Amino acid sequence: MRDIGFSTGAIALGDFGRALRILSMRSLRAVELSALRLQEVNPLLEALRTLDLSSYSYISFHAPSSYAEHEEAALVSALRKVPSDWPIIIHPDAIYDFSLWATFGRQVAIENMDRRKSIGRTASELDFIFKKLPNASMCFDIGHARQYDASMSEAYLILKNFRERIVQVHLSEVDTSNRHNRVSFAAEIAFHQVSRWLPNRVPLILESRVEEHQIAPEVNMATRLFGSAIA
Amino acid sequence: MRDYVELIREKTDASWINLKRARTESIKKLEELKGALIQFDVPDTSIVVFASLARLEFTNDSDIDWTLLLDGFSVPEHLDTSMAIAQKLRELGYIPPGREGTFGSLAFSHDIIQYIGGEDDTNSNTTRRSLLLLESRPILNREAYDRVRSSLLKRYLNEDLGFWRANNPYKIPHFLLNDFARYWRTMTVDYAYKQRSRGNDGFALRSIKLGMSRKLIFMAGMLACFNCHLDYELEERNHKYERSNLLEVLDSMKMTFDNTALDIVAETLLKYEKHEKLWPSVTKLFGAYDAFIGLLDDAEKRSRLSKLTPSEMEDDPVYRDARKIRHSFREAIHEIFLTPGNPISELAIRFGVF
Repeated sequence: MRDIGFSTGAIALGDFGRALRILSMRSLRAVELSALRLQEVNPLLEALRTLDLSSYSYISFHAPSSYAEHEEAALVSALRKVPSDWPIIIHPDAIYDFSLWATFGRQVAIENMDRRKSIGRTASELDFIFKKLPNASMCFDIGHARQYDASMSEAYLILKNFRERIVQVHLSEVDTSNRHNRVSFAAEIAFHQVSRWLPNRVPLILESRVEEHQIAPEVNMATRLFGSAIA
Repeated sequence: MRDYVELIREKTDASWINLKRARTESIKKLEELKGALIQFDVPDTSIVVFASLARLEFTNDSDIDWTLLLDGFSVPEHLDTSMAIAQKLRELGYIPPGREGTFGSLAFSHDIIQYIGGEDDTNSNTTRRSLLLLESRPILNREAYDRVRSSLLKRYLNEDLGFWRANNPYKIPHFLLNDFARYWRTMTVDYAYKQRSRGNDGFALRSIKLGMSRKLIFMAGMLACFNCHLDYELEERNHKYERSNLLEVLDSMKMTFDNTALDIVAETLLKYEKHEKLWPSVTKLFGAYDAFIGLLDDAEKRSRLSKLTPSEMEDDPVYRDARKIRHSFREAIHEIFLTPGNPISELAIRFGVF
């Protein structure tokens, strides 16, 4: 069985403390600490010493999705405080200077992008990114892949080409306005078609924006879909 | 994309200079169009060309069949964009698409993907759908184009229950094959319709094209379907065509349809290089097609054919030559597809008509 958990941003946007309190009432084994906005990075990093994360066997850190070029070096420097065994998830279109991120080696995990972005959406676009970051790992966002190509053909190509790099999976349904929603019946069918290629035991992080009472049903859906993947 | 026609040419020692020239000219035209239309490259759309240019058979007086394919939000400005593309092509002196209105405007992914068969599947929709697989090429951004083709192929494969059935020894995607066959018959019926509605205008040229380039795309579609079966031995076939491999099969079919129709035919026939009875027919097939391209590239002959009336045809030397080419092509097709004794004809006889 793979570890399943939530992104703190999905539970309480910009309020990791509240999100962790809500999640602590569930027996989830994975969590992604989300600092999607630059101003969220330092408070989250400073809180790491005091947060009780002992119940999680897998933790990752989501870096900001947007910042100015002159802020990049300081951000990379700040992210050195993230424990080295936690993957740092980064959107490839946020990167200005790849050499800065290359210093993280495998710890940095490139996420495949949604349709509105101009890079990192397809297998061939990701190939270009991994040429610049040859040691990087990958966060496979299955919702982004389906939003880009609903036939799941591109998702298949990404998994076929980069399966070995994947350290985490993002799960949600991404709509045409790029909102992360709960996974619908149609999306479940589509996701199931590539489930066999997801690496076994790679943790799954839910990004569906849910109310507290929707956490358990969403986790059940994820378990049903991917929990017992045989790949 | 490999040039399989060139590989066949090398093996036959033929020159096929017309095919070569048309390919070179087509690639040049495609580059020209890229430059000319770059300002109309808008998100969620692909500018797609069809017909001779997509087949890399562009010759003197070829027209440009194109569509602005939309896969995403529809906004009013998409129509403005398609009208601006038409205007730009007119300014550049390109011959506009035919008068049926199938090309030269907007096309929507929803109709192409959702309406296969049934009341809503109009003649134009069937044409766009079939040609999107058999003879199309995106000019600039290919994202919308690739997505629509993937979803389309996924429907044909996913909904074909017999294709995935383990005890079915023939791995032919019949849903897809039947739609290609339907389109081929639609073209032959529309040929008669156009003859009537246009008062025989352009009848002779259309007759030759029907027997050559239109037949070619049906042949390519049929072979693409047959290759699902022919490319693997029995045991490998059973393993490959498990439903869980849907996306893998889809990916390999997508790659097949990235080739031109003539390359799909060439790639398939190259596998039978050692087949003594088949190979002379292969040479005849491509030789006839080269002569056809040569004929279309001859401005005088093309013009003559487009102006002929049915009563003049029998005695006209240009038409008689053109008909000889068409007959040679037809003979080669009969030898390959309908003469027992080779793996292609076995499938064509079994599944090609009934």
